[in-house]
Amino acid sequence: MTRDGHVHFFSSTPIEDIEADNHQMSGLLDASTGEFAFQVQMRAFHFEKALMEEHFNENYVESESHPSATFQGTIEPWDPDLKNGESHDVVAKGTFECHGIAQAQEIRGKISWSDEAWRIEAEFEVALADHSIDVPAVVRDNIAERIDVDVHATLLPR
Amino acid sequence: MKYRRHTFLWSQVLCWSLGLMWAHDASSQGLLDALNEAVEEPTLPVSATFKDTRIVNVQSNETPAEGVLHFVIAHRFGTLSSGAYDLWGLDNAQMRMAFDYGITDRFAVGVARNTYQKTYEANVKARLLRQSTGPDAFPLSVTWYSVAMANGLRVSALEEPYPFTRRMSYVHQAVLARKMSEDLSIAVIPSFVHRNFVESSGEAHDLFLVGFGGRYKLGPRFSLNGEYHHFLTPTFGDAFSPSLSLGVDIETGGHVFQLHITNARGMFERSFLAEPLGTWRDGNVYFGFNLSRVFTVKS
Repeated sequence: MTRDGHVHFFSSTPIEDIEADNHQMSGLLDASTGEFAFQVQMRAFHFEKALMEEHFNENYVESESHPSATFQGTIEPWDPDLKNGESHDVVAKGTFECHGIAQAQEIRGKISWSDEAWRIEAEFEVALADHSIDVPAVVRDNIAERIDVDVHATLLPR
Repeated sequence: MKYRRHTFLWSQVLCWSLGLMWAHDASSQGLLDALNEAVEEPTLPVSATFKDTRIVNVQSNETPAEGVLHFVIAHRFGTLSSGAYDLWGLDNAQMRMAFDYGITDRFAVGVARNTYQKTYEANVKARLLRQSTGPDAFPLSVTWYSVAMANGLRVSALEEPYPFTRRMSYVHQAVLARKMSEDLSIAVIPSFVHRNFVESSGEAHDLFLVGFGGRYKLGPRFSLNGEYHHFLTPTFGDAFSPSLSLGVDIETGGHVFQLHITNARGMFERSFLAEPLGTWRDGNVYFGFNLSRVFTVKS
């Protein structure tokens, strides 16, 4: 499991780039089946500008009502017997929930086993519209419709 | 407790490895529950109890973040009761211009200048305690505010000599605020006002007040705000009625517009706490706005 996974997201438009980091992603991976569950607290995302962070929490993800985002599912294909240093391209299939709305997601990524720990990395896109995150017309040019997300985590056996 | 969680988790892991035929959904839901059991939610401060550093006139618990310059232009127009000739007061504007800077996320300093009584201000504001959620949750925010004000009006020859100390007054406040829900935030604000010089000999130099303020969000970027300050020290001849202000906050990206109606003419603490000129009963209230903009000076 992990308690300090890193989630980073990036919204890029010609007018403004907005990014945020969260180093408190938690996750559990069942090493026998490849089933997993990950969770991040929305309020633990930190932005370059304090006002962005406030708007993110207050106006967009509404973290008072929807405090966390989760992704749960199964890694395919699952190989429980990776050798030390070996790395596989895999797909994580499951349900991604954010802003209270669950969507089926398939996320491509890499998994490896080294130094007695599972290491995962993945990149994916989240469309704001898929999760009913509304952007008002005045700032529509500042916020991308699809947000690039990347995730890194090291999961140690419990 | 810790031990019990471990046993719970291991029993689940055991279930899967024995290959018990659980429905896919049920088992992954179980993993998320197990995750919630295993990971304590972090202690996080509650953000945006109020949209701006003021509720209407009075300070809220909020301060500019570290490295942020918060610039406010505020106006109060003449009384609504002044009628069409003065366009219900719009011909008669008073301005306040203020710069507040966040030295840290919890400590800010500011200066301001008011048209009203040509008053200068210097202030400090510190977040002593922050409301938070999680294992070390704290139920409310406590912010301290102290301001020194200097009246800049010229005095007539008759009043000379006029020592500078007469121009000074001071206000100290504790803002006790709580975000009750996403929509509702409330504040209780005890204030102490000291005036070095008062117009009539019967007036108290020191006044205690207790204020109540709040906001209710009607939309993600729109809220109703109000505040009321009750005199705990009797004032001379009831010359001033207590300060009562109602308004709205409208947020547009980097700006917050606060539009309101208040019975206080001045926008600095001595004036709106101790000496509000108008009365709501007679319509002697003032329309006004605060417009704030933040600049990230240092990131």
